[in-house]
Amino acid sequence: MVSISRSLILLGYCCGMMLGRSIDAAEENDFYKLISVVTSQAQTESRSKNWKPAPDGLALEVSGIAVLEDGKIAVTIRKGEIWILDGVYDDPPRNVTYHRFATALHEPLGLLKIGDAYYTAQRSELTRIRDTDGDNVADEYLTVAKGWGVTGHYHEYAYGPELDGEGNLWITLNTGLGLKGDQFDRTITEPTLKVRQGRWRGWGLKITPDGELLPVCAGMRSPSGLGANAEGDMFYTDQQGNWVGTNTLHHMREGAFFHHPDALASMNEPGSTIHGITEIPNGLPFPEALKKLKVLRPPAVWLPYKKVGQSATDIMLDESEGRFGPFAGQFFLGEFTQAGINRVFLEKVNGEYQGACFPFRSGMASAVLRLAQGTDGSVFAGLTNRGWSSLGTASYGLQRLVWTGKTPFEIREMRAQSDGFTLEFTRPVDPQTAGDPRSYEMTSYTYRYHSTYGSDEILKQSPKIVAAEVSDDGLTVSLTIEGLRELFVHELWCRGVRDRDGEPLLHPDAYYTLNRLP
Amino acid sequence: MRSIGLKIVRLALILSVGLFTLTNTLRAAEPFVAGYDRFAASKEISSVTAGRLLLTELSCTACHQTDAPTLTPKGGPDLSAVGSRVHSEWLQDFLMAPHQMKQGITMPDVLAELPYQQKEQVVAALTAFLMSNTQPYPEIKAGGASPVPFEFWLKGNIEQGRELYHKRGCVACHEPDAEYETVERKPTPLDQIIEQLDADELKELGLSQLIRPVNSVPHGRLSEKYNSRSLTFFLLNPEKARPAGRMPNFQFEPMDASHIAAYLLSGKTPEPKPTEVEASLVEKGKAFFVDLGCVNCHSIKGLKPAGQVKPLSELDASAERSCLKGSDSLPHYSLSTRQIKSLTEVLAGRQYIRNEGPDAQLEFRLLQRNCYGCHERDQKGGVGRNRKAYFETVRHIDLGDEGRIPPPLTGVGEKLTQSWMKKVLEGKEKVRPHLTARMPVFSGEEIQSLPAQFATADGFQQQTDREVFGQFQGLESAGRSLMGTGCVQCHPIQGEALPGVVGVDLADVTDRIHPAWFKKFLFNPGEVKPRTRMPTFFPKGKSSNQQILDGDVDRQIAALWAYLKDSANQKLPEKILEVRSRNYELIPDKRPLVLRTFMEEAGTHAIAVGFPQKLHFAYDAEQIRLAEVWQGRFLDARGTWFERFTPPAVPLGTKRMNFPKGATLRLSDSKSTAAFRGYRLDKQGHPMFLLRLSPWDVEEQIDAENSDTIVRTWTFNASRPTDKPREVQLRLLAGDGVHHEGKTALVHPSGLKLTLKSAGNTEPTKTGWRVAVPALQPMETFSIEVTYQW
Repeated sequence: MVSISRSLILLGYCCGMMLGRSIDAAEENDFYKLISVVTSQAQTESRSKNWKPAPDGLALEVSGIAVLEDGKIAVTIRKGEIWILDGVYDDPPRNVTYHRFATALHEPLGLLKIGDAYYTAQRSELTRIRDTDGDNVADEYLTVAKGWGVTGHYHEYAYGPELDGEGNLWITLNTGLGLKGDQFDRTITEPTLKVRQGRWRGWGLKITPDGELLPVCAGMRSPSGLGANAEGDMFYTDQQGNWVGTNTLHHMREGAFFHHPDALASMNEPGSTIHGITEIPNGLPFPEALKKLKVLRPPAVWLPYKKVGQSATDIMLDESEGRFGPFAGQFFLGEFTQAGINRVFLEKVNGEYQGACFPFRSGMASAVLRLAQGTDGSVFAGLTNRGWSSLGTASYGLQRLVWTGKTPFEIREMRAQSDGFTLEFTRPVDPQTAGDPRSYEMTSYTYRYHSTYGSDEILKQSPKIVAAEVSDDGLTVSLTIEGLRELFVHELWCRGVRDRDGEPLLHPDAYYTLNRLP
Repeated sequence: MRSIGLKIVRLALILSVGLFTLTNTLRAAEPFVAGYDRFAASKEISSVTAGRLLLTELSCTACHQTDAPTLTPKGGPDLSAVGSRVHSEWLQDFLMAPHQMKQGITMPDVLAELPYQQKEQVVAALTAFLMSNTQPYPEIKAGGASPVPFEFWLKGNIEQGRELYHKRGCVACHEPDAEYETVERKPTPLDQIIEQLDADELKELGLSQLIRPVNSVPHGRLSEKYNSRSLTFFLLNPEKARPAGRMPNFQFEPMDASHIAAYLLSGKTPEPKPTEVEASLVEKGKAFFVDLGCVNCHSIKGLKPAGQVKPLSELDASAERSCLKGSDSLPHYSLSTRQIKSLTEVLAGRQYIRNEGPDAQLEFRLLQRNCYGCHERDQKGGVGRNRKAYFETVRHIDLGDEGRIPPPLTGVGEKLTQSWMKKVLEGKEKVRPHLTARMPVFSGEEIQSLPAQFATADGFQQQTDREVFGQFQGLESAGRSLMGTGCVQCHPIQGEALPGVVGVDLADVTDRIHPAWFKKFLFNPGEVKPRTRMPTFFPKGKSSNQQILDGDVDRQIAALWAYLKDSANQKLPEKILEVRSRNYELIPDKRPLVLRTFMEEAGTHAIAVGFPQKLHFAYDAEQIRLAEVWQGRFLDARGTWFERFTPPAVPLGTKRMNFPKGATLRLSDSKSTAAFRGYRLDKQGHPMFLLRLSPWDVEEQIDAENSDTIVRTWTFNASRPTDKPREVQLRLLAGDGVHHEGKTALVHPSGLKLTLKSAGNTEPTKTGWRVAVPALQPMETFSIEVTYQW
């Protein structure tokens, strides 16, 4: 008797195991494999006052990556050096070699190689670095641009440079948060708004091929990532905080004001592209704030908090033409706190960029600060979590993400239509589930524009999915939706959609920032 | 597909539970009370304590009220949100047969004797009622310091959870996975002794308790009970569901809780869709919940116990009909014979009200909360021998058991200040970051009184440090030297340590430890703490260092106290400073070294350059000036390289000289000053600063000539020919007492002397000289040189 009842229980238990769980049939790792080139664990916690790197080896807190042509890459590290690494494409990377190329840089946060010169933004200047005597060690550190305010506050990072389609170099400047003491001696004040910051803090600037430094746009909080799209237009990411409801992606263009008012301390400086702001609305929903503040520009994409990361960093354009999977031409964004990578699709509607973001890859070893595409299409991620916190098992290092050749079932593109959205999938969908409006769920919301840290999702509604029409090839679904709202984020969950093998989407969620209806 | 499967599961469970109840009531394990299970049989606790422990941990006193202090019943989980927490199928099966569903459960079965049909009906009603008690989950705050991925409870990783479960300390109480591999460690000398002895010998030596395996607090069938979200949230805040606080709070990061939940559930389980239940059934269940006495132990808002049962004082353990025997309609506990005996004894003659001393009271608390699961006190408890392997030192550094096993609590009331103990119990402070296990937070009123209880039980007598050490102020520097002779080999101070050293940081030790204990321990560590790795520095009562304070032991210990008490203002011990310097000091021993950084004098565009001649300078690339020179040691780069708040780099050397603010070089007839264009390094690594002062390009070189002389040269050249001479001003020194000596020397009262060498027309000014730069053809250059000697 006992043994019978036992085996029945066992049977029941096993059934429960099989049925009671959502079975993660496919995992990110099946499609994008992570290779750790080098990852290290610091001796202290990431926020420790006495932070100490791992006891052995180079403190490879990668803050900039330049991919070289000969199988090498060059990286800047936060300690202030440029290193050239060889063997980084090996799998496993057993024979990585390191060569120190440049030293004495003040927390460089970007790296670009043009011709025989490296460019990096240090705290106080943009520098062009070369080896002129052929010993493969830099001996020339030329100042390309400087003149922005550096009060000594730690948060005043300078990021870049990145190159746009016209040959301009772009940099972005962090806002100092909570300046004190003699740091104020190095600030300027805008008397009407009573905002105080170092010069050009919170601005995006470009350096023309003639060497002229031009302020372009303002209102940045913590613009740690820059990148140009295939058209050569330049974007940056911002991070949640005061005045910034959640992380964002913005198109940098002249005269645009994005959100953080401290940047307006430089409004009256010669060269400013923004003038005459006398009041900042505080506490309005973002769409309302846009009406009050004419120079305010909405982000091309809001990255809803937690759902698509907590701290957006670098912007990388997939230029691999398919060698990094089915997302050629799209943006990949580094994610610091959650140690991952997110993905962005952009389109132009009525002349302005807008689009959708999607989760892409989690489980990196530490905070992702930099991304760069290798010559084989794989993606290098520069990691460092010092000063903040992140998921992952390491404190800093370098990892490489390689497409396995298997196509994940994903929403490749989400395009706005006047009456809904068109979804393009990476694999043909099952017409039954994908054609059923009940397979989809949508909510829409916006954020509050206010001086408080971050914002909830506010003014939520649930637009109604009234029809889902599947194309003959099964790759496209047109959703007809009632209740779309301009300037709101439209969050879509396609939990019910299956591909032809009955597989669910690897990431069933997409977040479209519908600034304008086409 | 799924619903059919579920039906099979349900069928199997119902059948099996039914069969179990028919055949198997006696197979259920006795209720598991960790302290009782471990210590009662071996009589390491008195029979009164054993009985009392059962009275509270089996919640007897929840129904049988008593005035006896400290017999507060443990009580069961708070069920206000049970509908959000558990699967209804599990709940139903559980109520049908609690002892089978969770072996060792302390909850009695109050339906044991009901006929099957009737029981099913009661259970259905109770389940309906309980499942109607739901609450939304709290929002977990995310931020730059706390990663909280969306739906993080569905993102746990089994392997990571498995590791956390075995490392953080869960297995101090709960069952480890036998397959989990720990890092092999050498048996301790004690282990080796134990291996060689047989049971009788061990008993004779009083070591029996060391080898007895320690049984596990049962989990029950977690994967049937919880979903990923509910278990994750339970782990994040166990006191909410279990207010008795027997399960402490490990202060897990959200993702860590999710990993552990994934491990315990062997995967991820989604939240079930809420099911509709009949309102009448809910009402019926609610009535049962009160009538059956469930509410006596489980709080649900708005419900109060109904009716009274016999108070504890009127219980007759020998009665025909009692909970002890599991009679008819009374609660069934499935008690073991020993447990029945313990309860009988403690009830007989109302032993439980016996007035007990502070030792016993404290012991009782430690038993209730199973502090003994981790901590040994007075040769009782501590991590069970079968569990020790799971306790490790970070990076597997060998520190012996002290570096991996939670500390013993013997004499802790004499050792630790109450304020510190309070912080530890509240989870606010941690001094053992090298243990992979963590001290969890215990909550509840009884915990707040623990520090005082320890002090009383250990006979702590307040003595100020002045009383213990006499006049100790002034001995700090002797203390600092003594630190270097031993302490720093094993202890960090203010987060700084010798290579490979992990251990308890001594910086705040005087806030943690009573002075008298400090003195006693330092004098002879082994006597206070058997088997400690801490060596004595005073063998046979004599100091091993006779140089300091004449080898006076008392004074030396006082000096250590003095230094540590003021450690925030004191220099670190020399050996630690040496290591720091080895790691972070820039020593330009062969070539010049450059560091761009923030500096007090040179500002936020500082470029510091150090030379092997031990003569260094800092250049201000914002104002284009030499800001500071000094001699001796150069700079410590750690703040620049690795510190979040980017402190200014401080020159380490001596003979520091500062120079006036404002550009050094300017045109006499124009307001424009030089612009900074970068620098080049020559083959030997000497930087040459590149300036633009229209109409010239100027190269500025600042070099050490010897150990007290710097040579500063400006070389002017023009990319286009200049047609006339232009005059430049050199602003070099300012302040009281600065004066010229002759046409070419400028002297600072400190003794610094500047000497000008130039081919052009020169004229002294208040702060330097005016120099006429002649008209230049391309490729033609003109130089000005100033030497600094001090």
